[in-house]
Amino acid sequence: MLKDILIKVADAAAQKFGAEYVEVRAQSLFKTMLTLKEGRVEAVKQGIENGSALRVLMNGAWGFASVGALDVETLTDAVSVACKMARAASSRLKMPIELVETKAVEDRVLVKPRKDPSKIPIEDKINTTLAMNNTILGYDSRVKSCTIDYLDLTGTNYFINNEGTYIEQGKLYVWSRITATATEADVFTFSREEIGSTAGYEIFDVETPEIVGERVAKRAVEQLRAKPPKGGTFPVVLGPNVVGVFVHEAFGHLAEADLTLSGSVLLDKLGKKMASDVVTFYDDGTIRGAFGSFKHDDEGVPAQKTILVKDGVVVGLMHNRETAQKFNTKPTGNARAEDFRFEPIIRMRNTFMEPKDYSFEELIEDIKFGYYFKSFRGGQANLDGTFQVGIQEAYEIVNGEVGEPVCNASISGNTLETLFKVDAVGKDFELWPGRCGKGQTAFICDGGPHIRVKEALVGGSA
Amino acid sequence: MVVVLKQEEMLNLAEDAVSFALRKGADEVEAFVYQGLTTNVVIERRQIARTSRIIDRGLGVRAIINKAVGFSYTNILESKAAIKEIVLKALSSAKASKPDEDWHNLPAKKTFASVENTYDSNIVELRSEDLVKVASVMLDAAEKTDKRVFPIEGGAGASYLSRAIANSNGIASFDHGTIIECSLATIGHEGGEVTPVCFEFNTERSYDIDPEWVGREAARLTVSALKAKRMETKNTNVIFTQFALQQLLYYTLINAVKADYVQRNQSAFKGKIGKQVASEIVTIYDDGLFNGGLRTWKFDGEGVPQQKTLIIEKGILHNFIYDNYTAKKEGKESTGNASRAGYLSTPNVEATNFHLMAGNRSPKELISEVDEGLLVYSLQGAHSSNPASGEFSVVATPAWKIKNGEIAYATKGAMLAGNIFQVLTNISALANNERKIGQLIAPWVLVEDVKVIGK
Repeated sequence: MLKDILIKVADAAAQKFGAEYVEVRAQSLFKTMLTLKEGRVEAVKQGIENGSALRVLMNGAWGFASVGALDVETLTDAVSVACKMARAASSRLKMPIELVETKAVEDRVLVKPRKDPSKIPIEDKINTTLAMNNTILGYDSRVKSCTIDYLDLTGTNYFINNEGTYIEQGKLYVWSRITATATEADVFTFSREEIGSTAGYEIFDVETPEIVGERVAKRAVEQLRAKPPKGGTFPVVLGPNVVGVFVHEAFGHLAEADLTLSGSVLLDKLGKKMASDVVTFYDDGTIRGAFGSFKHDDEGVPAQKTILVKDGVVVGLMHNRETAQKFNTKPTGNARAEDFRFEPIIRMRNTFMEPKDYSFEELIEDIKFGYYFKSFRGGQANLDGTFQVGIQEAYEIVNGEVGEPVCNASISGNTLETLFKVDAVGKDFELWPGRCGKGQTAFICDGGPHIRVKEALVGGSA
Repeated sequence: MVVVLKQEEMLNLAEDAVSFALRKGADEVEAFVYQGLTTNVVIERRQIARTSRIIDRGLGVRAIINKAVGFSYTNILESKAAIKEIVLKALSSAKASKPDEDWHNLPAKKTFASVENTYDSNIVELRSEDLVKVASVMLDAAEKTDKRVFPIEGGAGASYLSRAIANSNGIASFDHGTIIECSLATIGHEGGEVTPVCFEFNTERSYDIDPEWVGREAARLTVSALKAKRMETKNTNVIFTQFALQQLLYYTLINAVKADYVQRNQSAFKGKIGKQVASEIVTIYDDGLFNGGLRTWKFDGEGVPQQKTLIIEKGILHNFIYDNYTAKKEGKESTGNASRAGYLSTPNVEATNFHLMAGNRSPKELISEVDEGLLVYSLQGAHSSNPASGEFSVVATPAWKIKNGEIAYATKGAMLAGNIFQVLTNISALANNERKIGQLIAPWVLVEDVKVIGK
């Protein structure tokens, strides 16, 4: 029994090596992946990843060891190395690390997909991606290339610590990234979409190959006649997809308590008004089937719906047990590790802005000239609050109406200044799946309604 | 602790998997065994608070049946049954997949060129206490430089990596190497103002790093990033340091020279061999044999010898980079540019050491030639560039205004917009301060006429 092995290893760390805290995470995972390039199946891939992550606190310093094994001898060896290394690190410690107390949890979480990806034949997965490919390449002869990546992951995570918590948690992810390029004369355009779910393969019943394929292809073709934006400051309307990445990149990372402590601009802003009244943000790990959802985080803390900004006031941060102790608050269930090769760190889950009451028409009707940014290509933020979001689908707004398509735009600015300039929030709502990198990858969602920003710095490319 | 796998053991694993797959009906098969042992000491908010030891190893098997490719991997190498299971999974993957008419065959055995300074036993023998010392020296150097400097993250790490490959076309090869690195990211506080994150590092294949310099330099950058001012919108000269250049090239130029991108109409360089694509002072090699290069190995992810390939000479495009599949599709030979994510992936075309040849001016001379411009250390949002067209729209941070040949002040919020291929044409001078950053080896470059969007 794996549970007995984990108990033995945790006991050895605490009793034999003297660790103040020990946790063992074990995983047995199975992945199916495939890549299609212009309909050609590059390779069908299947992989087994079994391994363990051992983390100890010794004299207030962390020791971590990761091994691709689940047997008691290897894990006991690994945990002794983790203890030894933590002791070496503790020699330079100024402020010993402490963890906030949490209630011990015993739980067994099963995933209940309607369509279990591990039971779907590979041929069906090839056919789904092929259908997507055919929609894209068949959309217009100017669409020249199409790459589709598909991944599903199933398996079980085990968690035990020396405080009485033991969790077995089923894992399920289905993900696909679809990109296409179109060419005409010297113009190259690029379009991408992602699909992601923790519910099951049934995601493709909603995001059908035809719907997703057309979304990707249509954008690539429309962008061929798009013009570059004028650089400068303009009123902008952001679509849910761009609002999501803005909330995630520009604000969310600053509100990850480890980055807050590292000196993000939010450090002394808790309880202060940092955005206009219409701004409310959440990070929520409990949305059923969403790509960033799970029941317990990788420190054994239950996920929850965490409010970050309420009516413009910063009211919360995202915590693990270490930062919750420093801020004298409760952990929020944001500690996540990509897999057994990584330590859990503070990550977002499903991060979004709360909708209000404007229709899309009302948001744009008063804008004489501005931009409508509908879909993003990428985004990034710095601790000083500078953010950048690159846009893959944009339009001019002229005299209150959506006009010509615009290519290769981006918006930038200071997060907090920009949040005060949000002057109207729509009543619609969309949540988009994505992946976030912070030294390791996390599956997340972000989103919100359409919003209007009085003025934002728009980077043009010509 | 887990025993380190030796050369013979890794080769045996690979060869056994190959012969088992052939017995079970594969037309062709390749097995790649990867092992990585990494020790890290991590700095967090002014102190060394974390250490880690990560052992990751596994076997990836690529099997071909009727020109259809299947792949499977496992990280459990102790059990013969597990290895047989993944060989069978590779075969079942191939059977489920579809034939690819462009598939020719796996590469054959060729002689390797010699590589230097890729393995250092001093790194293998390092203990975590030694790395704690490296990190301490770096941390102390940063904090001693200026009180306004706050080290937020960084650390020291040492890795031993080894790889073995065998295929049904006669390849059976082993290589190993080491990497050591130390890095520090700092921010500066003064009167409510926070600087952007400033960063410095050393990464080497031999135990030849200078943590004190890294700490001092990160701190120096941070202090000089204080009191930042906004810039106005105008076209100006820009000096890109290697960090910024690496970020810019990674998503654009480096993709444009990959045969995969060219063949699939995703590269602006398609049909441009023999044409002027960059300023006359630009010469670039993809150098898989660069002495001590971070991506220097005897062979690539398919067992093909790594080599030095001329990409651009004096602005003229000469070659693209190929793996086995893309090369044979054109009746060519692989340039040794197949890259793998350890045992977890099939090969992909990737640059090795992308070497932009240095010029002869010192960095100071380069700055002194600029009447008005910007010195850019890092870019935010380079990954949102248009990978097909090369268009970018990014934030330059940290960056400094240059006036009358001298650094005048730090800037904030300046955006740069343009097209990487135009940037290549507008490179007017190269410094002599070549360094290795990821897959790039390059000096500072001076580019004329870049659009800067300020307030």
